[in-house]
Amino acid sequence: MRDWTRRHVLSAGAAMGAGLALGIRPLAAQGADEIVLGGSIPLTGVFAFAGIGIHAGIQDYLKIVNDAGGVEGRKVKYVAEDTGYKVDASVAAFNKITSQEKVSLYYGDSTGFSKTINPELERRGSILMAGASFASELNDPKKYPLQFMAGPDYSEMFGILLRYIANEKAGAKLAFVYSDTEFGRDPIGPSEALAKTLGLEVVEKIVTPPGSVDVSTEVLKLRRARPDFTIFHGYVLAPIPEFITQAKQMGLASRFMGTFWSMDNSTVERMGEAADGFMGVMPYRYYYDTEGESPMLEKIRQMRPEYQSTAYLQGFVTALLMCEAAKRTLAAGKELTGANLKAGLNSIKDFDTGGLFGVPISIPGNSVPVGRIYAFDGKAKQMKPASDWIRLEA
Amino acid sequence: MTDWLFLTEVFLAGLGSGALYAVTGVAFVLIYKATRVVNLAIGEILMLGGYAFFGAAAGWHLPAWVALPVAILAGALVGAVVERGLIRPMLGESPISVFMVTIGLGSILAGFVQIVWGADPLRLPEFLPSAPIFIGEAYVAPKVAYGFLAAMVVVTAFVLGLRFSRGGVALKATAADQAAAYSVGIDVPRVFSLSWIVACGVAAGAGVLVGAIGGISPTMGVFGLSVLVVVIVGGLDSMAGALVGGLFIGVVEAFAGTFLGGEYRFLVTFSILILILMVRPYGLFGTHEIERL
Repeated sequence: MRDWTRRHVLSAGAAMGAGLALGIRPLAAQGADEIVLGGSIPLTGVFAFAGIGIHAGIQDYLKIVNDAGGVEGRKVKYVAEDTGYKVDASVAAFNKITSQEKVSLYYGDSTGFSKTINPELERRGSILMAGASFASELNDPKKYPLQFMAGPDYSEMFGILLRYIANEKAGAKLAFVYSDTEFGRDPIGPSEALAKTLGLEVVEKIVTPPGSVDVSTEVLKLRRARPDFTIFHGYVLAPIPEFITQAKQMGLASRFMGTFWSMDNSTVERMGEAADGFMGVMPYRYYYDTEGESPMLEKIRQMRPEYQSTAYLQGFVTALLMCEAAKRTLAAGKELTGANLKAGLNSIKDFDTGGLFGVPISIPGNSVPVGRIYAFDGKAKQMKPASDWIRLEA
Repeated sequence: MTDWLFLTEVFLAGLGSGALYAVTGVAFVLIYKATRVVNLAIGEILMLGGYAFFGAAAGWHLPAWVALPVAILAGALVGAVVERGLIRPMLGESPISVFMVTIGLGSILAGFVQIVWGADPLRLPEFLPSAPIFIGEAYVAPKVAYGFLAAMVVVTAFVLGLRFSRGGVALKATAADQAAAYSVGIDVPRVFSLSWIVACGVAAGAGVLVGAIGGISPTMGVFGLSVLVVVIVGGLDSMAGALVGGLFIGVVEAFAGTFLGGEYRFLVTFSILILILMVRPYGLFGTHEIERL
């Protein structure tokens, strides 16, 4: 037992008072009409390269919106926490932010988080969420009614690649190389089935353990299969360059492709010699793209004169679609609830994103099934369009 | 379906990745042998070596043969500072405390690298010859082959050095009995320091090899964890154990990856770990008194 002196009581009282004040202040200080966009953002950890870009993209778009007077006259406030790309930290960030702010929009950092938080989203019913995950599983409006993704899901990305391949070479032989993660495995099953219906043959599926350094044995398997096209999924950079280099040395004539998160121009450039001819699917125009009308890209280039990554564009586009959903909800005189926001989002039809997507988009469900094939031009050191925009029918 | 040429190629590729395990394993063993500390930050020091090489070769445009020693020296310097600043004051504390310090050190190094070089995965400038190598008709990826050669030279040098050099004998004496080593005039604190300096230098050098093959990123330190398995299998205080354990795990993983699929690689590795821990808790070549945490 300790003796309670006056000093103890006073200091305890002061501490309690300070705690209360700190706890209460954010809610009290919050402007009554502000719309809050919360975010579990991976600024450190394995996904930090993307998280940093996403963070900047969201901030830049909100700056544009707020400078122009906000969404229906209401400013949008961005509150983010670093998660280290760990689900438990993401959930903690969500709880912290939602307890301090009246959050209407939320950016989540991973498939794991999106799945974990879904029951809580539905219980609250006040938030529309999107994020860094393009998991096929999340593209189900019945199971995930308050979520969406700002592009095609991973299976749809494969769908776009496979349609392109079927056009280029009927009956082509394919190999899928993917990481043994939720991210990596996501599109493999459905894409195998789709390949069959398109008359393509999947001759090899190679799984690599996450974080594996040396892929020589996997390349040996690839050589035996002799595919015409090899699609990588579930990676950012490593081990793609080493795979391609070794495969080329063995005289393999395959073409190599990737999906969104391995399509950043500066990342592909880092592949060195292996980069030449590397292809993949991208839902957005690249930062430097000057073809056609893209006033939004112009604005980005004015705000940031140096190259911005695809992750930046992803954050930017996600914030744009969220704000558009909020705008439509408020314009219809409805309250900002999760369901109303989602209905607002789903009312987006043939919508021009300022040229960020190359074609007008519609969001009938949880994804935006649009993309284009780009290929790396070694001379220009840039990803260049290799196909028209491909729209998958829902 | 399965032909001998293919099996040989898989075997050689396995030896290649095993050699990377072995050379990193040497760093674990050196520190453990001298100081009885399991240094979990070895993976991050390896990463730091990769980045130091990158900084010297791509940032300062030094040729590879200068950048490599720079990376090794950077690792050695970190080893010296860490030993004097963090580990020596912990002398006499429980092994768990020291273990935790090395875990913390790992996060600090990963954070430092991210602040200096950013979070993007990077590629090291090409410095190994890129002409494909054929042993008979079997193809070996050039980087893997040169990595293997370099790793073998280093590991062999350490196995011989420990046996025949004065420093090696001093280290073995310290490992066997610190008090007795003191009494015959061996400067035990200096042995501690040197073991950290040399081990961290080796880890940094290994980081350059690993980075040349798989690229560098602030998270490449996880490679250290795979190597921890190797040294536990081989015996935490045995150089030969690191060599044999590394090559063995490398080859087993290669065959598991080829015939069972990549998702079974780690399953097989960790099954071997459990088996070894049950049958020989001190590893294949370790001495019996290794402390279990």
